[in-house]
Amino acid sequence: METILNTRNLCKSFDTLEVLRDINLSVAPGERVALLGPSGAGKTTLLKIMAGLETPSSGTMENHARKTAFVFQEPRLIPWRSVKDNLLFVNADGDYRAALCSVEMEDFADYPPADLSGGMRQRVNLARALITQPDLLILDEAFHSLDLGIKMRLMESIIQRWQEQPFALVCVTHDPKEALYLADRIFVLSTRPASILTEIQMNLSRKLEITSPDFIAQEANLIHILTGRTQPHQSEDSEVETGHLS
Amino acid sequence: MKNFWRTLAGIGILVLLWQLAALRLNKSILVPAPSETLSLLFHNFTSPDMLLAAGQTAWKVLLALALAILLGLPLGLLLGLSDGAYNLLRPLIMVVQAVPVISWLSLVIFTWGIGWRGPVFISFLSLFPVAVLTTVAGVHDLDKDLLEMAKLYQVPWKKVVREIHLGSLLPFIAAILDVSIGQAWKVTLVSEYLCGGDGLGEAILTARMNVDIPAVWALTLGAVLLGLLSEALIKFVLRRFRHAWKRS
Repeated sequence: METILNTRNLCKSFDTLEVLRDINLSVAPGERVALLGPSGAGKTTLLKIMAGLETPSSGTMENHARKTAFVFQEPRLIPWRSVKDNLLFVNADGDYRAALCSVEMEDFADYPPADLSGGMRQRVNLARALITQPDLLILDEAFHSLDLGIKMRLMESIIQRWQEQPFALVCVTHDPKEALYLADRIFVLSTRPASILTEIQMNLSRKLEITSPDFIAQEANLIHILTGRTQPHQSEDSEVETGHLS
Repeated sequence: MKNFWRTLAGIGILVLLWQLAALRLNKSILVPAPSETLSLLFHNFTSPDMLLAAGQTAWKVLLALALAILLGLPLGLLLGLSDGAYNLLRPLIMVVQAVPVISWLSLVIFTWGIGWRGPVFISFLSLFPVAVLTTVAGVHDLDKDLLEMAKLYQVPWKKVVREIHLGSLLPFIAAILDVSIGQAWKVTLVSEYLCGGDGLGEAILTARMNVDIPAVWALTLGAVLLGLLSEALIKFVLRRFRHAWKRS
């Protein structure tokens, strides 16, 4: 199978602190994957290795993406440049208006980041990733600072973009709803040193309603897996490949 | 507007106190009256010899400042990026910063004799450590997250230097100029006084040797005004540059 991302026995330690242990996963072009795990497990480190910002201590990491974009947890905008200039910084030929439109920030192109709220800055962070037209989009808790309404609209916008021109998506989150909404496949990670506990293949409808009974059932199922209370329930729409939670 | 009137009132109070001290002492060899000093100052500004002396001092100040910035910034950048080089050269820079002006005199006089080189060299040495150490602080203050973001998006290095490095360093460059311009005038005047050969410092020396204290006061006041004027000019140019850079 063709892959855009592939890790084999990937491990990472910082001095004596072991962060990642034997991570094996692959992502196909156009596939959407979520990594769910507790805070401090090492999810961001794994994403940084995927993006080439960190190197693994052992094992291999292959990234075949032509263009990788990363939505950081914090916006990382150049404070002395306007919103528009921040977008053009990463792609001088990009359509900044379209990118800002997709995050509902088209009226703020000439604003300096300091004049925007935390949530608005995070939306610019997402627009900066989208303007590069990536074939691999990495989201690191990208929606954590947003209210539910805008979070839902942005996720819809990402899905819409993906439907127009598919790209591989890897997102890290601790919100099961977000993972279910965005991903086709969910990897549940353990506490540090992070390893993959279980992998869930979702076959939910592309046009999801978070209030639909199917979605609610899947969410409940995922919460059960995360909390380790029961073995995952096998529904019609999902396949649980492994479920050996302790 | 309120601040302007307050400043004006402050200057008025200062001149009044000066006048009262001059009246009380009644000895122009100690404190010449403001009217006498200001009259001499006005005369100086209309005298070709004094204008020439002011110009000679001003270009030495600008040359020393330009050298300190042009050499201090790249070295500061290098030391900011390399801890090894910083630890190696920091003692030398600290020594240069701590050596008083007077200690450079013998070296300067025996090397170049009396002339313009001495004041420029001594001023440069007093400004150079400030330029280097402030730039190092600027580099250490660089936002590593921004650099990581630029690396991820494969932004060309020239663009990164222009947008991130220069943007971060601009406030520090402004601080260097802000601190250095007053210092440059003071050190250049003292150096001209000691080994200059021309300029306002040398004019002050001549006035002092002639025990012409009102002339010493008038020349000093003239130098202070020129210092303030050049500081305002540099701040104006820097503001325009920052504005143009932001719009680029």
